[in-house]
Amino acid sequence: MINVNGLYHAYEKGGPFAVKNAAFKVEKGEIFGFLGPSGAGKSTTQGILTGLLPLQKGEVTVAGCDMKKPKREIFNKIGVSFEQSNVYGKLTARENLNFYSKLFDVNTVDAGTLLKLVGLDHVADKKAGEFSKGMKHRLTFVRSMLNKPELWFLDEPTTGLDPAIASQIKDIIKEENNKGTTVFLTTHNMFVADELCDRVAFIIDGEIKLIDSPRNLKLKYGEKMVSVEHNEDGKLVKEQLSLIIKEDQDRLKTIISRGNIEIMHTKEATLEEIFIKVTGRGLK
Amino acid sequence: MKKILTIIGRDIKSGTRDWLIIYLSIAPILFALVIKGLMPGVESTTLNVVMQHDTPADISEYMESYFDVEYVSDLEAMNDRILRLDDVYGVVYDSNNEGFETIMQGNESADAHIALGLILDQYGLSEDTVLPVTVEFSDVGWEMSPLKLYGANIIILFTTVLGGMMILLNLVEEKMNNTLSAVNVSPITRTEFIIGKGSLGVLLALLGSIAVILILDFGSINYLMLLTSLLAISFISAIVGFGIGVVNDEPIAAIASMKVTFVPVLASIFGSMYLPEKWHFILFWSPFYWAYNSIRDILLKTAQWNQILLNSFIILVLTAILFFTLRKRIAHGLK
Repeated sequence: MINVNGLYHAYEKGGPFAVKNAAFKVEKGEIFGFLGPSGAGKSTTQGILTGLLPLQKGEVTVAGCDMKKPKREIFNKIGVSFEQSNVYGKLTARENLNFYSKLFDVNTVDAGTLLKLVGLDHVADKKAGEFSKGMKHRLTFVRSMLNKPELWFLDEPTTGLDPAIASQIKDIIKEENNKGTTVFLTTHNMFVADELCDRVAFIIDGEIKLIDSPRNLKLKYGEKMVSVEHNEDGKLVKEQLSLIIKEDQDRLKTIISRGNIEIMHTKEATLEEIFIKVTGRGLK
Repeated sequence: MKKILTIIGRDIKSGTRDWLIIYLSIAPILFALVIKGLMPGVESTTLNVVMQHDTPADISEYMESYFDVEYVSDLEAMNDRILRLDDVYGVVYDSNNEGFETIMQGNESADAHIALGLILDQYGLSEDTVLPVTVEFSDVGWEMSPLKLYGANIIILFTTVLGGMMILLNLVEEKMNNTLSAVNVSPITRTEFIIGKGSLGVLLALLGSIAVILILDFGSINYLMLLTSLLAISFISAIVGFGIGVVNDEPIAAIASMKVTFVPVLASIFGSMYLPEKWHFILFWSPFYWAYNSIRDILLKTAQWNQILLNSFIILVLTAILFFTLRKRIAHGLK
């Protein structure tokens, strides 16, 4: 669905590259996560993929279209949800969606259906300018679903949303993906990426450091450790035990046999820990 | 075309919820009404009379050589006409006594009826008759009230600038809401978007100007010539509107920037009015100078197609120069 090869981009002629020699592929039907801290080059890459930024150097095809000279028709196939809400404040939520739906050459989803999907149906005829930040974000999100996109670009789709709404948004993404929509997800939220993505790419300083599935990364970079909190002679004891070292294995067996365990969990690595390990930098 | 109409429809909908845009839309009409309100006083500098349709032809001819004459069907209609806001004298010819009866409202300009009386007294007298006072009318070349002519021309030129302001405000709204990026990832082309965004401003200039012409009662002017001239000058205001709108995300600051357009407009109008003909070349750079001249001739009904087309061509050339100067800024701002 997306092919990127030798991609470079600089905002000023002769200036530093915001994206350097990026190369990756996104297969049809997968959720591909683009992870990196602010200023890493995520939005620049997405800008090029969505035609908002010109392709300066490299080869990029999106949904079969060469992005060197993108045709407007490609936008009938893709949907873009922006990190910053961008809706017309003087128009109602319904008017916003109806306006954009008329710009497409393909059948679009009914505005009411989409608003109901994100719990905005009760304020459908209220001006978007009077919406809270989260409501505007949800309106921006569903606008990107108007044309039932084959390829869906999502930039920080859950940022600024309360946990319940964020969970709802993640469910919608999973559901659309199950229907066959390919998703390109840009985020610095490793929990969202971990939960949703089939594969992730780590980008920092404009360079892609690695691409793999969250599971493979955890297996590769995670430590085979178990954290245990148990009662021993009336005292609460916390221990970190290796699943590989023989002594630790025996100790774990002993603790389990006593049956005084209060908390026990495996110490698999989070994507953030792996990111830090790989890039030497945090995701913030 | 559907997408262009969608953009226009959105701008109209959004505009009706913005007092600034509503004001811009009705401003030309308000200004025209103010001038119309002032005109009766100004037009009373000429003598206007109302007579009945059955007035003998020779008397009508005599009266029309001195006055602006209106005709009504009967005395009742004459009284109604006299009672209206402006100064009009009723003149009834009494065929039995071969004399005139004048009807006034009572609030007319102090000495005007004396002139009317003197001219009526003069009717039918032989050239040899010696009168104590001789009445003569001289024509200084004015075809209509200067307030009406210049007022309409100024409002029309400013209406084209207001059209540019409307484009500017709609673009500022896009910048404020950051919605251009959302439009840029839809299948609408850049050209369709620009035409859609520009149309409302050009439409405002055309409709506003025609409203001014109708309100000020210019009668049977050549509307095709007016349309040609208005279209030409509207483009330059539209380009200025785009040039300023795409780099501003605050309406008041954008309007303040747009006010620089008033300089060439005012310089063109007052330069054309007050500068001797030999100095007019210093205004040739301003498209509003050429538009002002075109509209003045159209309103005076002295315009010729070749002159209108030449002026419009000059305006379009100047517009093209401005467009090529601003095109990168506009293209960059629309991203």
